[in-house]
Amino acid sequence: MTTKSAYLLADNVSPATVTNTSSLLRIIALALISGAAIASRLFAVINFESIIHEFDPWFNYRATRVLASQGFYAFWNWFDPTAWYPLGRVVGGTIYPGLMATSGVIYSVLHALNLPVDIRNICVLLAPGFSALTAWSTYMFTKEMKDESAGLLAAAFIGIVPGYISRSVAGSYDNEAIAIFLLMFTFFAWIKALKTGSAFFGTIAALFYFYMVAAWGMLSVFVFTLHKFSPRTLGGYAFITNMIPLHALALILMGRYSSRLYVGYSSWYAVGTLASMQVPFVGFQPVRTSEHMAALGVFGLLQIIAFAELVRSHVSSKQFQTLLFASVIGMGILGTLAIVGLTYKGWIAPWTGRFYSLWDTGYAKKYIPIIASVSEHQPTAWPSFFMDLQFLIFLFPAGVIMCFRQLRDEHVFVIIYAVVASYFAGVMVRLMLTLTPVVCVASAIAFSSLLDTYIDPTEPEIVEDSSTDVDAPQTEGSSNVAAPTPKKAKKAKDAAPLPSGPLSDIVSSVTAGSFKRGERPRGVFGLDTRLAVIVHAVGMLIFFVMHCTWVTANAYSSPSVVLSSQNPDGSQHIIDDFREAYYWLRQNTPEDAVVMSWWDYGYQIAGMADRPTLVDNNTWNNTHIATVGKAMSSSEEVAYPILRKHDVDYVLIIFGGLIGYSGDDINKFLWMVRIAQGVWPDEIQEPNYFTRTGEYRVDDAASATMKNSLMYKMSYYRFAELFGSNQAVDRVRGQQVPKTGPTLDYLDEAFTSENWIVRIYQVKKEDSLGRDLKSANAFAQGKKRKRTKPAPRRRAIQ
Amino acid sequence: MRFFYPLLALLPLLSLCLAKESAHDELVRLASAGKGVINLDERTYNLLTTPKRTWSATVQLTAMDKRRRCAPCKDFFPSFTEVAKAWATVPSKDRDGHFFATLDFDNAMPVFQKLGLQSAPVVHVYPPTEGPRKPANGRTAYSTYDFAYGFEPAPLAEQLSNHTPVPIPYKAPIDWARWGTFGGIALLFATTLRFVAPILKSRWSWAAGTVLTSLVMTSGYMFTRIRNAPFTGGNGQWIAPGYQNQFGQETQVIAMIYGLLAAAFLMLTVVTPYTVSPKRQKAQVYLWSIVIFIMYSVLISLFKVKNRGYPFKLLL
Repeated sequence: MTTKSAYLLADNVSPATVTNTSSLLRIIALALISGAAIASRLFAVINFESIIHEFDPWFNYRATRVLASQGFYAFWNWFDPTAWYPLGRVVGGTIYPGLMATSGVIYSVLHALNLPVDIRNICVLLAPGFSALTAWSTYMFTKEMKDESAGLLAAAFIGIVPGYISRSVAGSYDNEAIAIFLLMFTFFAWIKALKTGSAFFGTIAALFYFYMVAAWGMLSVFVFTLHKFSPRTLGGYAFITNMIPLHALALILMGRYSSRLYVGYSSWYAVGTLASMQVPFVGFQPVRTSEHMAALGVFGLLQIIAFAELVRSHVSSKQFQTLLFASVIGMGILGTLAIVGLTYKGWIAPWTGRFYSLWDTGYAKKYIPIIASVSEHQPTAWPSFFMDLQFLIFLFPAGVIMCFRQLRDEHVFVIIYAVVASYFAGVMVRLMLTLTPVVCVASAIAFSSLLDTYIDPTEPEIVEDSSTDVDAPQTEGSSNVAAPTPKKAKKAKDAAPLPSGPLSDIVSSVTAGSFKRGERPRGVFGLDTRLAVIVHAVGMLIFFVMHCTWVTANAYSSPSVVLSSQNPDGSQHIIDDFREAYYWLRQNTPEDAVVMSWWDYGYQIAGMADRPTLVDNNTWNNTHIATVGKAMSSSEEVAYPILRKHDVDYVLIIFGGLIGYSGDDINKFLWMVRIAQGVWPDEIQEPNYFTRTGEYRVDDAASATMKNSLMYKMSYYRFAELFGSNQAVDRVRGQQVPKTGPTLDYLDEAFTSENWIVRIYQVKKEDSLGRDLKSANAFAQGKKRKRTKPAPRRRAIQ
Repeated sequence: MRFFYPLLALLPLLSLCLAKESAHDELVRLASAGKGVINLDERTYNLLTTPKRTWSATVQLTAMDKRRRCAPCKDFFPSFTEVAKAWATVPSKDRDGHFFATLDFDNAMPVFQKLGLQSAPVVHVYPPTEGPRKPANGRTAYSTYDFAYGFEPAPLAEQLSNHTPVPIPYKAPIDWARWGTFGGIALLFATTLRFVAPILKSRWSWAAGTVLTSLVMTSGYMFTRIRNAPFTGGNGQWIAPGYQNQFGQETQVIAMIYGLLAAAFLMLTVVTPYTVSPKRQKAQVYLWSIVIFIMYSVLISLFKVKNRGYPFKLLL
């Protein structure tokens, strides 16, 4: 019984050699993939330098420095008096310490080995390092779904896919850097626990779940959990804690309850929940908030089912019926009473308004402007999907179908993950990150099935049936039309020799995945077809690699602290205004000088300038942020008492009008207005900042409120002078700025960076003669005070 | 003569006092006549917003006449009436401290001109200038309702409650149509369960659902919903310019392309190998490979339209 082969294989190799060689090759492949994953994340270091990126990483870096220099206990009890001046911030109790602890451990280990590595380099390179681990855990996960070759493909995909690189380039020292590894490994351990029914793997899953909670937060949990804390830590990570319960529930509903499921889930839930409650910031949330009710509920359901199974095995079936009936009613009543009671007492909050923000996408915008103001929380348009996932995005549905063909327990997991993650990724750009792993896994399954089919050298036997198959599907089809649905399936099964027309081919081969596999010849004839498909597939892979390299180099490797542009001759021009300004603050102001800025820059000021700030990216106190927003959006006279009451010495703003940097404060200004309006609706009103026709303008047509606002004045102060006799143009808004710019009475320009991106103003002290600063200024300039209109006495704000 | 001056000076004051009394009474009368909403003209508008008022007022400035073609006015009008109606149920002690009024453009053009209004609808809230309810911060100018809260009655009532003596007792009416639809669907489902069950139990109906959901979601459907993106642009343009933007039709086209590509891959993997005739199989392999190549090229060229800096291309 020799089968025909499309090409020759060496047949004098022993099976042991084959296994050994393949495992060696796998190890080499994984090592290469890790290398590629790390290397492709180093663009940022090569193009710029080894620097921490963006905003949040600066805080993480600062916290890690405290941890590394003062030890864990000092870090745990760290109270930061310089943040949220004058309130201060209890850092130890309000963060997820997983990321900092990881770097701290690496730092200690390296120093114990006498490798004096700077903590900054550890922080910068942590994300690339963990991406290699992510590739490995994705390999392990996919191996459970299909086989090793699919695993390797998935590892390669996730190693270089831009959707994951976007959050893990060198220098983006953020929670996501390690969280995706933890996520994939938790899922792998869960699948393993489910497959083997092992409490050991359940516990492993729980431990990694704990690590993930410690690193990423329970936040994890939902868009809305963290209204009260922070839009930065908030994410729609709903499914991370809820994926496993959802999977378990789906299995129960499919009638696939087993003792393996029971052991795996119970060990995961019990250990994982208790462990996660040890993180102070999490506390009792896992048993009190709606986001975690699903996990708790499924846990309870599993106990009931397990108990019912136990009873059933001990009593006769009739007794069991009555028992079941009584207990179902009893438990229903008890459960309802318990939930009602607990809610009534206020111990749990199962269905609060915030539950809806996940589904009602307008909710956040309406009630919590601070969340909607963050660009990461915008919905995703299709080019972003393609940019981040390229050809994986259309292989992904094919992979999901492949999962449906086999539909083992673990495939259900991938399917649920696919649906949930694609919804969330569509709602919020940021959540593309959580979609990426499942896309890689599913498309690896699809792609490796394709390669398996066309690389396999065995040729099927030729069956001569060309005469019958023309009319056979037609008769089959016509009889099916009349027959009702259930019978149709039966009939199709009964028809022993399956007809092979194009239509029935599709039907039978797609549905036949689980049964009658051996009956039909399967394989590819000839070498040219194989070659065509494989060359095509390899071409797609090469294109994918080129795409990823291009996207990573051009779109995702900018530190955003340092900007770059191109000179006319094509060489790179570095714009380093941020650091220039922060270092100016550091070197020219007293150490306790309080700097006010919009919250986006709080962490950077604390990290780079080392000065106290009013608000920062941990947006836990909305009122404080609104105070800053109010100061920025009111007139000088109103803002001055606010500034003085908060001991503000310097005000820092970002202004892009000169070089066309669009992420500046004038463009964010409306959010300041909105957030201030939320707290002081009487004093700040958004419509006042628009022109009569409802436009947002900064030129002559701008509304009076806009022109008098502190932000406008600070942005355009002396801007027109720069253009001499020419018309001053704001390059971001593309509008002509009035020739006579605003004047400032209560602030002094202290520093303006090279490209005017950062402008710093010093707040004047009260006049020594007790005049208000406006008249003092007027006096100094030799203007006569107008008698006719005495200035109204200012009231102190309440 | 000397004695008369103070008296003369008192006269307008006296009349004003009288007028104020009667003004309030007149407003109460008008409000009850209009079922909670005063229909203003120029005179009554001035009466309502007199600088000496112990009452507060919400004025809707609108243009309901057909010739004005103000669609938002028509959308907003019922919400305003609903809220005013809810306010009319408040006991008269509090009710008479706040008035709801509507001012139509065609009845009082001068008022619109005086206020410098270019668009409608607008809702102004006038705080009282005298009496115990005078705002603590002394601001007596009107404030404008921010339509960013929406045209619905619920947020309107919530926002206006900040200005009324007692919160507006507005309760959203039960949406019978919605519950009816729910009930109808549930009933339909229950009755046809016997026929639906095989479909529900079939894995392929679930597979279709799953794949369709993820296709639609990954082609930016949620973007168009959240941003209320139009289906197409004007003048026959169906691709929105810009990388962070898209039209409704793009979702459909992209989802179709993704679906076709995925289907072609599935064909190559699961269907073609079962074809028993070598010739037909070869034809299928080449067919699907070409389909993949062409559709992929189309996709790339679409992406190049959105992201002009993209350096790669295939066929097109």
